[in-house]
Amino acid sequence: MSNQKKRNFQIDAFKHRVVVDPKYADKTWKILEHAIHEIYNHNASGLSFEELYRNAYNMVLHKFGEKLYNGLVATMTSHLKEISKSTEAAQGDSFLEELNRKWNDHNKALQMIRDILMYMDRTYIPSVHKTPVHELGLNLWRDTIIHSIKIQARLQNTLLELVHRERTGEVIDRGLMRNIVKMLMDLGSSVYQEDFEKPFLEVSAEFYSCESQKFIECCDCGDYLKKAEKRLNEEIERVTHYLDSKSEVKITNVVEKEMIANHMLRLVHMENSGLVNMLLDDKFEDLGRMYNLFRRVPDGLSTIREVMTSHLRETGKQLVTDPERLKDPVEFVQCLLDEKDKYDSIISNAFNNDKTFQNALNSSFEYFINLNARSPEFISLFVDDKLRKGLKGVSEEDVEIILDKVMMLFRYLQEKDVFEKYYKQHLAKRLLSGKTVSDDAERSLIVKLKTECGYQFTSKLEGMFTDMKTSQDTMQGFYASHPELGDGPTLVVQVLTTGSWPTQPGVTCNLPAEMSALCEKFRSYYLGTHTGRRLSWQTNMGTADIKAMFGKGQKHELNVSTYQMCVLMLFNNADRLGYKEIEQATEIPTADLKRCLQSMACVKGKNVLRKEPMSKDIGEEDAFFVNDKFTSKFYKVKIGTVVAQKESEPEKQETRQRVEEDRKPQIEAAIVRIMKSRRVLDHNNIIAEVTKQLQSRFLANPTEIKKRIESLIERDFLERDSVDRKLYRYLA
Amino acid sequence: MKIPKDRVRFNVGGRIFETTSTTLANAGRNSFFGALFSENWSLKQPNSDSFSNCEFFIDRNPDCFSVLLDLLRTGDLNIPTNVPERNLYREASFYGLLDHVRSAKWGQFDGNRLRHSRSVTGRAPGDGTAIRAGPDGGCCVAHGSVVHVYDWIMEEHPPLNLDYQRVNDVAWVDSENIIISACERLGRGDGGMGLFSKSTGELRYKFQVCHENQVKSFTAGALCTSSDFKIFSSCKGRSNEYGIGVWDQVTGKQIDFFYESPGWSLGDADKLQWLNGSNCLLVATLFPRKDNCYISMLDFRDKRMVWSWSDFGAPITVDEKRVRDTIAMEDSNAICVVNEYEDLGFMDLRMNGGSVKWSSRSRMMKGKLSDEPCYPKLALHGGQLFSSMDDCISVFCGPDWVLTSRLRRDYGGSICDFSIGGDRLFALHSEENVFDVWETPPPPIS
Repeated sequence: MSNQKKRNFQIDAFKHRVVVDPKYADKTWKILEHAIHEIYNHNASGLSFEELYRNAYNMVLHKFGEKLYNGLVATMTSHLKEISKSTEAAQGDSFLEELNRKWNDHNKALQMIRDILMYMDRTYIPSVHKTPVHELGLNLWRDTIIHSIKIQARLQNTLLELVHRERTGEVIDRGLMRNIVKMLMDLGSSVYQEDFEKPFLEVSAEFYSCESQKFIECCDCGDYLKKAEKRLNEEIERVTHYLDSKSEVKITNVVEKEMIANHMLRLVHMENSGLVNMLLDDKFEDLGRMYNLFRRVPDGLSTIREVMTSHLRETGKQLVTDPERLKDPVEFVQCLLDEKDKYDSIISNAFNNDKTFQNALNSSFEYFINLNARSPEFISLFVDDKLRKGLKGVSEEDVEIILDKVMMLFRYLQEKDVFEKYYKQHLAKRLLSGKTVSDDAERSLIVKLKTECGYQFTSKLEGMFTDMKTSQDTMQGFYASHPELGDGPTLVVQVLTTGSWPTQPGVTCNLPAEMSALCEKFRSYYLGTHTGRRLSWQTNMGTADIKAMFGKGQKHELNVSTYQMCVLMLFNNADRLGYKEIEQATEIPTADLKRCLQSMACVKGKNVLRKEPMSKDIGEEDAFFVNDKFTSKFYKVKIGTVVAQKESEPEKQETRQRVEEDRKPQIEAAIVRIMKSRRVLDHNNIIAEVTKQLQSRFLANPTEIKKRIESLIERDFLERDSVDRKLYRYLA
Repeated sequence: MKIPKDRVRFNVGGRIFETTSTTLANAGRNSFFGALFSENWSLKQPNSDSFSNCEFFIDRNPDCFSVLLDLLRTGDLNIPTNVPERNLYREASFYGLLDHVRSAKWGQFDGNRLRHSRSVTGRAPGDGTAIRAGPDGGCCVAHGSVVHVYDWIMEEHPPLNLDYQRVNDVAWVDSENIIISACERLGRGDGGMGLFSKSTGELRYKFQVCHENQVKSFTAGALCTSSDFKIFSSCKGRSNEYGIGVWDQVTGKQIDFFYESPGWSLGDADKLQWLNGSNCLLVATLFPRKDNCYISMLDFRDKRMVWSWSDFGAPITVDEKRVRDTIAMEDSNAICVVNEYEDLGFMDLRMNGGSVKWSSRSRMMKGKLSDEPCYPKLALHGGQLFSSMDDCISVFCGPDWVLTSRLRRDYGGSICDFSIGGDRLFALHSEENVFDVWETPPPPIS
């Protein structure tokens, strides 16, 4: 160690402590100044830390703190000025390297100087509120070097130039960049922001403004988005490599604004490649990219959503109003389901299952499904179709999926009561004709409807199932108590509870004698076991299997409706019958009779009767014969009635009217419920509340509500307020 | 035997010490030893042979070095009688070990283990107004118009004054800065509040109050600081601008003012307490400054008095239940009050308009009031409640606030104020100008 010589000197100084040597401070400072020079000149190995520390300590102790501090500032400043000159002199690319090297030197020197002056840093500086040594070193570096006229602009331009070169595909020294940027951050966040970040953001905005203009002229929407995404990722990557992490939000904001926000509408509506085309072509990847990019800018997602919604409403509207589509209800509903599936998968695959998009989808469907008043009927028909035959060979899970989808469409319906009406009719037909494929599927759907709309909605439907079950038991009981009936015609009766079923009252016909005898037996059996009930026959809903022999001894079993059976049985006793005769004998209503004759005489392959003249329609003067020439490949022949699967126009009107009739008591009940609790309410509020209460079943018509209110006033449930005519009062 | 690689030999003022760099590392980077062993100073790790002969010379006192080396070895401070404390502190300061010494000198505060450490006598005439413990073990004492400042070594720094106006309260902003609130002198715009440097005693900043955009002179009363860098003070302006002023510690600018509403008292408050959990300020104006007591909690965010209590209109018979000091205890959702017989009373913070539930615990003081009584004061620290009465401080613990300890000194007369901070308790006596320092001894050896 070389402190032997210096120690002598030190002891010298120590002696003079008592009598204060006027040169003491200068001498001590010279030692420290020399040491600072040596440190900057990479020559510190010969210095004694203990000696320097003690000298600095003594200076502070002897009240020379200010001299020490000022000396430090002056010495450091002069060194930094030299560094500044040599950095300025650096040529071209070596400028940054030189700056970085000098910065590292300065940091190391600063640390050593601080070590020596630690005592001053700890005691003198806080008491006089001066800048601590480390911070002082950084401030001097900032003012003498970074903010010197010849360096400040050059540094900024060099950094920005490097970023630009990297953006145009060149490889730059990222390590060096990171060090320099780190230096700016060490000098204080304001230095980083003012000297680099702000100009960087400005230049970037300009760069991306130009680039986006160029891209949008020559790229389609998908490609443009790909490029924007790439640029965005590049900037994020740049931040992680050599910028302050706080800059990430700022630079991405710039890219988002220049590349996306400024071109948003143009991108979305770009011809042949915009959002609508992406939706049509199921371009999940492009859509996902658009979603992720647009999500970053204000109004981005709402723009996508609006375009999607209006497109969806437009196509939906076309779909439900297309007269071609209306011809096949099953196809119609299938189309709706396909459309829903398509958008569901777009939202889940590309739009991150965004709730707002799901809501937009739902509201669009709700909008256009209800544009077509026949939607409830068609959905019911779709279910009917599926439950009749469509579900054969389909696994239980798949059945559930289909039913769930139907329920989803059901949810969109405003007129749920209309659906209920049709569903009841279709279910009744299925149950009575024994056409339902899966009891489980039927019940599953009922459960779903129940959870959706409540007990009240499905109680009648459930009643129908109960009736079916009870009827089976009743029939077993009937045959058990009449063993003599073993070899006659077999009667199967289904006892339907009035009200649960869509029955038409009073339509009846004359049954053949054999049958009516049997029916009488059943009636007395049934009424015997269930007193106080009334049975009436719904002949329009039954079916019959009858055996028939045609010319050449051909035997067939014919599956016909009850009406058809009545007609055919007449031919057991006659060869020829006129229309009038048949009508007289059976008393079948005209429309039904014509339809049933038509199906037996005019349909090829099913024509068990022959008609004169051989026209398509049934006339009142026509005559009918057994068709001896009837042939069929099958032993069993099913003779369907000519029924329109869809409702005909007058039937539709009728159903409509029934629905309207059913709504009246519901509206009235709602009004009374509301008024009972509110006592007094004005017209507009009552309309609003009634509509809200009935929403789950149907959309109540305000005029109808008004009519109901008037009717209730007439019946003294409500009265108008004598002063304010718009107010209603509840009368208990 | 192999010599450990990190062995170090010092020659301190002629005496040889051997230790290891591991021991010295306990001093931390910001110390003489930390710098000495840093890589910058290229203190070579010599080979073991030459190393054992190599020693570092330090031109300092070997006796003190020995104590400090022991401190680095064991964490315990043992000062032999032949080493004056002041010398030791000076040496510790040289090595940058003063913080180590301070934290070894006394242990973590516990009201039930306090020992009287020393008494400091002052020269100021008259009664003391207030004593306030600083965050690093020092304290300051307000006497008339001057505030005396002591660091943790109990060395006195230059005294503080605000135009020599009567001091109402003092508060520490941090270990280097102190605020003083003072009376306004009629006819001059003095008074108010000033921020002082602890070590030099210079006035660094004067706080102002504005009413309707006009700077007004004012008398500042009770002071309080909050953890979110705010300063609160009760203020009395010349033109009835009474209320609580709020300043920013960093900028020194006034940021808020809560005006006193008619029939209530804020500007005369004796005590302010910031409640961190509920973001409220407790303001208490007490007898005998006013005829009645007013305790309230203010929410500055929506300028609301969220809780209040007053004995206004209470029957005269409960005169002995006059509240003399109060403190909010957020952990138990209660406000504790004390009367002149040192009876403690409690109120529920969550219920507005409740009444005081007095505990009938301490009637032992009754009937032997001294001639010059000092009214009780309360303090809360680390879940322990402290109450001063005459020459004695009681410590209460547990959910039911059971009396667990009594601190008493015979010299100096009644305690007029006390304060806890920096793991020390300071008690200021009124008869003699003296304050006691109480501290917890370091933890036992095993």
